[in-house]
Amino acid sequence: MAHQDKEVIYGLYDDETDLLKAVKEAKDQHLEIMDVYSPFPVHGLDPILGLAESRLHIAGFVYGAIGTLTAFLGMTWIFTKDWPIIFGGKPYWSVPAFIPITFELTVLFSCVGMVITFYIVSGLGPGVTNDYLDDRITDDKFCIAFDMSEVDGAAAKSFLSDTGADVNQKII
Amino acid sequence: MNQYTFSGTAKTVTIGAMIVGVVSMLLTWFVGADDLQSRFWSNFLHNSTFFLGISMMAFFFIAVCITAYAGWASVFKRVWEAMSANMLVGFIFMLVIALTTYFHWNHLYHWADAAAVAEDPILNGKKSFLNPNWYLFGTIIIVGTWVVFGRKMRSLSLDEDEDQGHDFAKHRSMRIWSAVFLPIMGFSSAAMIWQWLMSVDAHWYSTLYAWHAAVSWFVAMICLTILLLIYLKSKGLYKEVTNEHMHDLGKFLFAFSIFWTYMWFSQFMLIWYANIGEETTYFLLRREEYPILFYANLAVNFLIPFFVLMRNDTKRKLGSLAFVSLLVFIGHWLDFFLMIKPGVKITRDDHGHMAAHGEEVVHGAAEHGIHESVASSFEVGYTIPGLLELGTMIGFLGLFFFVTLTALSKAPLIAKNDPYLDESLHHHT
Repeated sequence: MAHQDKEVIYGLYDDETDLLKAVKEAKDQHLEIMDVYSPFPVHGLDPILGLAESRLHIAGFVYGAIGTLTAFLGMTWIFTKDWPIIFGGKPYWSVPAFIPITFELTVLFSCVGMVITFYIVSGLGPGVTNDYLDDRITDDKFCIAFDMSEVDGAAAKSFLSDTGADVNQKII
Repeated sequence: MNQYTFSGTAKTVTIGAMIVGVVSMLLTWFVGADDLQSRFWSNFLHNSTFFLGISMMAFFFIAVCITAYAGWASVFKRVWEAMSANMLVGFIFMLVIALTTYFHWNHLYHWADAAAVAEDPILNGKKSFLNPNWYLFGTIIIVGTWVVFGRKMRSLSLDEDEDQGHDFAKHRSMRIWSAVFLPIMGFSSAAMIWQWLMSVDAHWYSTLYAWHAAVSWFVAMICLTILLLIYLKSKGLYKEVTNEHMHDLGKFLFAFSIFWTYMWFSQFMLIWYANIGEETTYFLLRREEYPILFYANLAVNFLIPFFVLMRNDTKRKLGSLAFVSLLVFIGHWLDFFLMIKPGVKITRDDHGHMAAHGEEVVHGAAEHGIHESVASSFEVGYTIPGLLELGTMIGFLGLFFFVTLTALSKAPLIAKNDPYLDESLHHHT
């Protein structure tokens, strides 16, 4: 992936309530937030940031439907055409016996598909290293980051320090 | 507004529904063709057990929330407390059924017939559980216990409102009562379901039956909770109950509809796979003679909640929630219909058969019911619910809401000293 260097100014907060207040404040001041980082999902952050609902579950539904069809049609083909065997005097095409496996494959396809999709969309994966602003945003700090090319640097800096953040600058 | 007053339209409608119910039951009694009055008694049993189970599940869910430290529902827990006031009504109704069974004034249960039991090795083997004495005694002891726990919890919750300090003594006490109730409910509800419902098919048994019926109760309870909350919100009450709470109730409706299907299907598939005659007769009868109800049951109770409530936004919109709740509530009522009526019909037909021919009834369990009843097949009130069944259900529903709303109007809508109230007010899914 082509990587463009960005100059980022960011503030670290100690508490998620401070973070929520600051994000609201930034919205009021019309400061363009580049991104917000937190060690865990913060309740109520998405609507304030105006993030659209994730479409991951739609992908999950599609994968699940593929799993359903794979299992059901696969078993239908195997037990009626490819290798018909009578089990316990049941007909070749015994739908109730197919349902547990259909259920399992639906769940499997849906889960594995969503995990892979999530990894691809987020640019994660084995052997991939990602830039991050600060070690502690994966631990106990909450971060608001501004792209210097999008906002007035001085305004962002004063905003961050006014809202009680520990201000840093970095090029990523 | 923190106080509900039960008056005006709500009172008129619930009382009107109760009148419809009484008229339907009287008509069933006098129109009923057979001298056993099985249609009347089976309707009575059907609705009594259904609504008693719903109110017990409402109390069960309060106990679960308290024991599990779950605070999200604290803001509207008074609704569940009010619903659990119906346990006393259900207790009285079940007492009527138990007493009439004891004195043999109804003929709902094949095992209640001492002469039949003596000639029947299967019923003879089940005699220690399926007998009128235990039916009466067990009902009194077990439902009585539920009622005592329900009233104790309610009074603790009302006392908590009066608390000045914040030592949470009442809540600690509630926690003990809840934790004690859960195992009691777990075992006793199964025993009650076996004797009230499963024993209408006296020869047949299934270990999953109690789970299936109990989950039916639970889902129906969630449906009524959603509908009642939507009604109260439409009156401008419970502004604190937000879409977040409705979303969680929608999730419960969605998840437990799937759980119900899991139970239903597990029971079906094990019996289908093992293919033992004395077990398959239950499903054979229902599939051959009740095909519409049999498949509609799955469609209404599984496909509709599954596909409608799968999306995030349908769980947050009151319209779609109300639509699904209403359908699923009726669906579970039909599920109970399908559990009770076929067995009652066979018991009644056998009794008539015996009386007419003076024959000894010989039951290989596999042939029990199948050969004889195929000829008699369709009958409104047994094969499908007729208007009288619907009227009876409306009456019981009216009574249920009458008692619920009366109880609700007797206390503030929000338990202001509940330790989890603040968490519940800020609930966010």
